[in-house]
Amino acid sequence: MKKSFLSKLINAPYILWSAIFIVVPLIIVAYFTFTNKNGSFSLENIYEIPDYTGIFLRSIIYALVATAITLVVSYPFAYFMSRTKVRTQSMMIMLVMLPMWMNLLIRTYSWTTILEKTGLINSFFGLFGLGPYNLIGTSGAVIVGMVYNYLPYMILPIYTSMSKIDKSYIEAAKDLGSSSFDSLKRVILPLTLPGIISGITMVFVPSVSTFYIADKLGSTKTLMIGDVIQKKFDIDVYSGIGASLSLVLMVIILICIVFMNRFSDSEDGGIIV
Amino acid sequence: MSNKKNILELKNITVSFDGEKILDDISLSISDKEFVTLLGPSGCGKTTTLRIIAGFLEPDSGDVFFDGEIINSLPANKRNVNTIFQRYALFPHLNVYDNIAFGLKVKKVPKDEIKKRVKEMLKLVNLEGFEKRSIAKLSGGQQQRVAIARAVINKPKILLLDEPLAALDLKLRKDMQTELKNIQKQLGITFIFVTHDQEEALSMSDKVVVMNEGKIQHIGTPQDIYNEPVNAFVADFIGESNIIDGVMLDDFKVKIEGVTLQCLDKGFKTNEAVDVVIRPEDVDIVHPEKGLITGEVTSVTFLGVHFEIIVDVNGFKWMIQTTDESKVGDKVGLLIEPDAIHIMKKSKYSGLYGDYSSFSDEMDEISNPDVEIVSEED
Ligand SMILES: Nc1ncnc2c1ncn2[C@@H]1O[C@H](COP(=O)(O)OP(=O)(O)OP(=O)(O)O)[C@@H](O)[C@H]1O
Ligand SMILES: [Mg+2]
Repeated sequence: MKKSFLSKLINAPYILWSAIFIVVPLIIVAYFTFTNKNGSFSLENIYEIPDYTGIFLRSIIYALVATAITLVVSYPFAYFMSRTKVRTQSMMIMLVMLPMWMNLLIRTYSWTTILEKTGLINSFFGLFGLGPYNLIGTSGAVIVGMVYNYLPYMILPIYTSMSKIDKSYIEAAKDLGSSSFDSLKRVILPLTLPGIISGITMVFVPSVSTFYIADKLGSTKTLMIGDVIQKKFDIDVYSGIGASLSLVLMVIILICIVFMNRFSDSEDGGIIV
Repeated sequence: MSNKKNILELKNITVSFDGEKILDDISLSISDKEFVTLLGPSGCGKTTTLRIIAGFLEPDSGDVFFDGEIINSLPANKRNVNTIFQRYALFPHLNVYDNIAFGLKVKKVPKDEIKKRVKEMLKLVNLEGFEKRSIAKLSGGQQQRVAIARAVINKPKILLLDEPLAALDLKLRKDMQTELKNIQKQLGITFIFVTHDQEEALSMSDKVVVMNEGKIQHIGTPQDIYNEPVNAFVADFIGESNIIDGVMLDDFKVKIEGVTLQCLDKGFKTNEAVDVVIRPEDVDIVHPEKGLITGEVTSVTFLGVHFEIIVDVNGFKWMIQTTDESKVGDKVGLLIEPDAIHIMKKSKYSGLYGDYSSFSDEMDEISNPDVEIVSEED
């Protein structure tokens, strides 16, 4: 189909917008990656990247664990939510979305008051003469923080694809001899796959690149790549190594999205990036 | 307690939703290898009855017997019954082969046997070579066949079919009617078929169950319900009929429009008020002097095989189908043989049906702003 002049005109602001806010920043990142302090071409920022392999790996592992936990928690949750009455469902969606309207920093900060030595959990254990336990500053705390923050991004797409399933498919499965487990495995799971994939992407991508959570809830041993990049730019806004690490992170995320997209049929459950 | 020969029995089944009785005291016996049709207008409870039999719904009261045993709360997946759903409900994520193989895979049947039986099924429904086709790429008729194959591959004792032909166009529908009959004979299983098309019900069934407002109105062979409907609702729903107020003077003697006619019915009280059914094709138009009843022709419609004539007799309009031509305004006599008359007891439907002075009920509904027309398709 040949695009008319009018449709080009309508698309123009969008293309301009994309150019200014997506392409230009990318070019700037690339510029700082491949130049040194004097502004001349240099690969010194690239040579430094291997020093951060450990942190990259840690970030990926934390993000994978957090994504896996959110998936395991969200799937049954979405499943039972989709089977309640319609009014209960909209009520529950509201509750799931409520924390999303609060700032991530505040949400994360509130976890410190729960996990710290004098926090909620340790006070509770204290009643029985136990603890205090070292909860804050651990990798567990970082992962809990990510799970908590990104849970809605897993629940909502799964719930959406779950509630789209026509009830008659589940009845047909029953009719053909399936137990509840069989229908879950053979019908519900495959039909909610697009939701699962978009949930995984929507949790993994922000998790792997997150900052502040590991900073607040973890220790220096649990720092993630996002925190490192943030600190680099904190010190120097024109940080070359900060730019090169960002570039690597973007490549990792891009690979992840392309990989996940291969699993989902393009028709529905499109991934929101 | 229950008759062993019947494969399925419903005894006094009652179901209510939100305090409204949807099925009211349904009792029905179905014998092995029978083709039974549930016939009734939209919303009369046909699908609900099937859901009780399939096991998706438990009756509030009453019992369901399968092979003589109560199965009220046996879940659907443990019943030897399969369903063809109103909109087929084929699994969109599976291709034709995997849809048909679904039931056998759940039962962990060995792969070779599944392959063999799916092949047989594809042959049975004339879909050889469609194994790999995705469901979305099938026509309505093909989806229909896949739904049949997916159900009968499990060798159910009873197959439930919920308006399986409703979505097909007329010609395909006729072909599928014949094909379904053949499949039923070939497999030798019981079919419980739901439709609201009376012609379909009459032509396919061994036994027709006419339902209305959650109640069974009449159970009988197609001939029974056509020739001897029990009440005005059944008479009107199954084909066209003139339903006239009459008085039973004595056995074999009924008075309508002030004229005493011979009939074949007996066993009514003397002077009992009755509904008299006379089918349009059973009335002869004759010269006014030769007729028992006289009237004036008010409309003539040519329908190819015959004319459909409306005759006004003292304000009550009769429909008559005849091959003799008449003109609007003609005075005509009506001749009715004793075997053309069927007498019914008065019921709550008396006076509601069988008069052709207005448009059909559907026409009335369309032009009535208070009635919401609910469309079949979503
Ligand atoms: N789960 C339900 N909750 C409330 N009402 C219901 C439910 N299922 C069916 N009904 C009502 O019960 C009545 C009978 O429904 P049913 O589906 O059995 O009709 P039907 O004879 O199959 O009609 P159709 O020809 O339109 O398919 C309808 O009035 C319907 O609105
Ligand atoms: Mg129905």
